[in-house]
Amino acid sequence: MPAQNHKPEFAELVDAHARELHAFLWRLLRDQNESEDCLQSAFLKAFRAYDRMPAGANYRAWLYKIASNEARTQLRRRAGVPIGLDDDLRAPAATVEDQAERRLRLREVAKAIERLPYKQRAALVLSKYQDLSYAEIGEILGTSPEAARANAYQALRKLRGLFREAGAGQVTDQHRARFEEGVR
Amino acid sequence: MNGEAELSLLLDVLYADGPPAAAAESALANLRAEVQRWQPQLWYGSLPESPVGSLLVAVSALGVVAVEFGANEARFVERLRQAFGVQPHRSGDRADAAVRQLEEYVAGKRNTFDLPVDLGGCTDFQRKVLEAATAVPRGRLATYGEIAARIGAPRAARAVGQALARNPVPIIVPCHRVVAADGSLTGYSGGAGVETKAQLLRLEGAAIR
Repeated sequence: MPAQNHKPEFAELVDAHARELHAFLWRLLRDQNESEDCLQSAFLKAFRAYDRMPAGANYRAWLYKIASNEARTQLRRRAGVPIGLDDDLRAPAATVEDQAERRLRLREVAKAIERLPYKQRAALVLSKYQDLSYAEIGEILGTSPEAARANAYQALRKLRGLFREAGAGQVTDQHRARFEEGVR
Repeated sequence: MNGEAELSLLLDVLYADGPPAAAAESALANLRAEVQRWQPQLWYGSLPESPVGSLLVAVSALGVVAVEFGANEARFVERLRQAFGVQPHRSGDRADAAVRQLEEYVAGKRNTFDLPVDLGGCTDFQRKVLEAATAVPRGRLATYGEIAARIGAPRAARAVGQALARNPVPIIVPCHRVVAADGSLTGYSGGAGVETKAQLLRLEGAAIR
């Protein structure tokens, strides 16, 4: 275990946390270039501020916070540009029809995530896919742990709404129309 | 499938795998290169005993920058400090992979190196020469003239010899596999000179004169 007051070399922070932060940025942005750019600019900001960080601080949460701010700025910058889904992204399904149906649903979920307020979207990814506690997520998003939990919950509630409207596993004409309008 | 389960499945399709491995590796490598640019850093370690004597190894965040025959740490550190403008730190962790692979190699337990090399301190010409030397397989030899031809400078055999003599990472970049046109083992600047060169080539099973 590192000593309480240990302050690692900056390069050690890269070794310890860059992979995880890149995955986080990729999940939020779903774009290779943007997630790599955000990763570099987040670490550059961290590098410039690192002298002022006390020894023994929670560097991981601090880096997440900087990375999250970068992602948020990036998402704002590209507001209105529809999300790109990789062609090879496949939801498992029994038949070709099911597969097509699933893909339509996948796009719809992706679009609904795009419409979520940033904190809800980030809280969802951080809690479900980055394995962070609500205390940590609160620290990263600048909220209380309770508010972080509420953000993740709200995100899921809104996404569930998509399915309730349509009935279990059915895509209605209304959904199709909304989807097509969305992808233009 | 109910809505809840389907939502969960679709979220997993979008998020569970994370970035493709190649994208993650390249993002990490590019970030390390950037950090090395913002804050050049060097670490070193040593292999006190080996069949070719003591070895010292230095690495940057990008790869191995120096291998030196001998045990004079203070002189090694001072040379690195002058060449790179930063104070190297002794670090078992950072230099460990390079030290271990060198140890295995000179003991005949490893055939090739699986290490990034950072030739950032070399000129373009020297880098081309070193890359061409790296392409000479274990157990084979090339002449200075052949290396010169391979890098598109067929009349530069002498310059190739000089570039190889200044190889910052001997053994890992196998300049010992490059010999004179008549097959004789001309100079080697590391260890016991030509005797060390012969020792490395014998270890690799090369037919030498």
